[in-house]
Amino acid sequence: MLSLMRYELKKMLARRVALVANVGVLVFLVGIMVLNVVQTKTTDASGAILSGTVAIAQNREEALEHAGTITAERAAADIAAYQERVFAHIDRDAVLEMTSSAVYDLMFQNFSDEEVYELYNPYWSNLLKPWRVAGEELAQTAARVTPEMAADWYGAVANLTQQELDDGQAGMWEYSDAERAYWTEKQASVEEPFTYGYADGWANIISCSGFLLFAMLATCVTLAPMFSFEYQSGADAVVLATRRGRSQLVVAKMVVALAYVTVYVAICAGIIAGFSLVFYGADGFDLSVQALGLSSPYPLTAGQAALVSLAVMYAAGLGFACLTLALSARTRSTLAVFLTDVVLLLLTGLVPSAGVGVLERVLALFPLNFSNFNMLFSALESYPIGSFVLDLIGMLVAVYAVLAIIAMPVAVLSFRRHQVA
Amino acid sequence: MELTLDRLTRSFGPKIAVDRLSAALKPGVYGLLGANGAGKTTLMRMVCGVLRPTSGEIRYDGVAIEQMGDAYRARLGYLPQDFGYYPEFTALDFMEYMAALKGLGKRIARDRSLALLDRVGLAGEERRRIRTFSGGMRQRLGIAQAVLNDPEVLVLDEPTAGLDPKERVRFRNLIAGFAQDKIVLLSTHIVSDVEHIADEVLMMRAGAIVLEGRPDELVAKAAGKVWEVVVSATQAETAEAELYVSNVRLLDGARALVRYVADGPTIAGSTPANPTLEDLYLYVFRDGAPAASRREDSGAHFKEDQHA
Repeated sequence: MLSLMRYELKKMLARRVALVANVGVLVFLVGIMVLNVVQTKTTDASGAILSGTVAIAQNREEALEHAGTITAERAAADIAAYQERVFAHIDRDAVLEMTSSAVYDLMFQNFSDEEVYELYNPYWSNLLKPWRVAGEELAQTAARVTPEMAADWYGAVANLTQQELDDGQAGMWEYSDAERAYWTEKQASVEEPFTYGYADGWANIISCSGFLLFAMLATCVTLAPMFSFEYQSGADAVVLATRRGRSQLVVAKMVVALAYVTVYVAICAGIIAGFSLVFYGADGFDLSVQALGLSSPYPLTAGQAALVSLAVMYAAGLGFACLTLALSARTRSTLAVFLTDVVLLLLTGLVPSAGVGVLERVLALFPLNFSNFNMLFSALESYPIGSFVLDLIGMLVAVYAVLAIIAMPVAVLSFRRHQVA
Repeated sequence: MELTLDRLTRSFGPKIAVDRLSAALKPGVYGLLGANGAGKTTLMRMVCGVLRPTSGEIRYDGVAIEQMGDAYRARLGYLPQDFGYYPEFTALDFMEYMAALKGLGKRIARDRSLALLDRVGLAGEERRRIRTFSGGMRQRLGIAQAVLNDPEVLVLDEPTAGLDPKERVRFRNLIAGFAQDKIVLLSTHIVSDVEHIADEVLMMRAGAIVLEGRPDELVAKAAGKVWEVVVSATQAETAEAELYVSNVRLLDGARALVRYVADGPTIAGSTPANPTLEDLYLYVFRDGAPAASRREDSGAHFKEDQHA
């Protein structure tokens, strides 16, 4: 069996196309992660544009200025302090009557560049998010927040989930009672108080997890000929007429294929995680995921969220690998198998949901659509099955597990029963 | 050791490729002759268990091969017509891979692979990639893998197709060497190949065996059916169009020696010639040949044409 697996591995990886795809994607990932670091940009207090590792250091410094546990008291106190600073120089009531761009200009007219820079620290944005209206300036939000409102900061955060449920994804989806209960319960399970700080390394892993799509494409290129090449080349007649051709061979092929996908995706994930943690820093694993997105109802840390992102991409990778193997076992055309993969992996990212909730939920199951923080941890994507509710992460695991469970036996039986006609 | 083909039938939609074919094969070399589309490859695929018969059964020593499964395949060696290989593998890789598929241990696999590669004239080429091999080298590699497990049943489908005459002779000798104490089923449409190495000839037509017997017995059956005559070049052309001519040899001037098969002399001056298997083949497969007539004597017989 081990010999068979060794030769199957050699067969699989020795093909020039597979070799080029696998090495090419690794090189591409390294390149794209280098660019990811190099192209990080921010501004300092003087307004100078910083990039690369300097920008990363600047972001870290900014975040660490406000690092720590956000108790309800601290939130209220910080909001009050923010209001005091801002409204010491500008009229609180007046900003509510102004446009956001006018307020922005007003900030620069009344504060030094350094002060404006501090007043636009992402911490304040995070703190005021429960009351923030899209498009408005922070000063305008701050003007509307009363001390009573600020005192119930966690209540306001919890209310974000309720607002999203009421909004129904801009009218696209009407949440059932079971879904509302599910999300309310999930939000309630988030541990308080939140911890705020610097976790860009983990956030970057989540942002870049979508690049694993290229790893999936490489695995599809590699696995597409697994069975179909046997049919295409006429080798099926030789191997199926051997003692182990209809038994151990197919097992060896499946084991090798899944082991390859696991190792290859792990290497690619390692490149993404490695670059992120080395250049952005590994600190912040234990910070609340709400430090990355306040409205997230998940009781996770930033590090756990990053691992979940990679895990669901791996699950999808395995699912697609099994689908590829099943298609390969059913058809002689390697190209047809690969094109099917390309359509499912890439073109599904281009299909608009057109405001149709069901379609949006179907499309959300494809890697190009779900591989971002918002879809996985903030968008409240849920799948009600009667009174049972699965969130997107659960649904992804279920769908790709079912796909693998169905596709694997299809591949095995198709090859075992293959007739050389 | 006996391989029984019992009313074996295989159809592809409305087309019947093999039609209620029965035979009992014992150790020896069986040369399967037939025109393209006669059902030879389909029959061989069924014998190798890579194609399920529509009906009928193949038994090895009385047990259905389907029932034997891996145990039957362990006794089998197969070189298909279009021998598929893995271009990136070296010859040794391929042999060891096939050895693993055939359930041989690692040490035995290496020893037997090297010995067989040597025997088929590929010594020194073990580390070369198969994609760099010539057609003849690939065929030799094919025969080497087929006998790797010292099979009791060896099935060779058109093993000499595409080989030059020298390679063909070499290949025939190889097969003859490997054939001892085995049931060897060898299909070809090159009659001379069969003539040289087959103990028994099976002639297939329209999915059925229409003639079987020892080559010399079969050749004897064509006695009195082969004629030679010297005619003008113009008459030779006419004869070619109207008769079943097995050979035309231009002589001096404008004359030609025409060899043809027919129940009787059809050109004045024809003299009987010593028949060959090729003549018989031509005689059997000529249009309107009496394939439906039943004649049984001295181990060779014409069988009823099922499609008549």
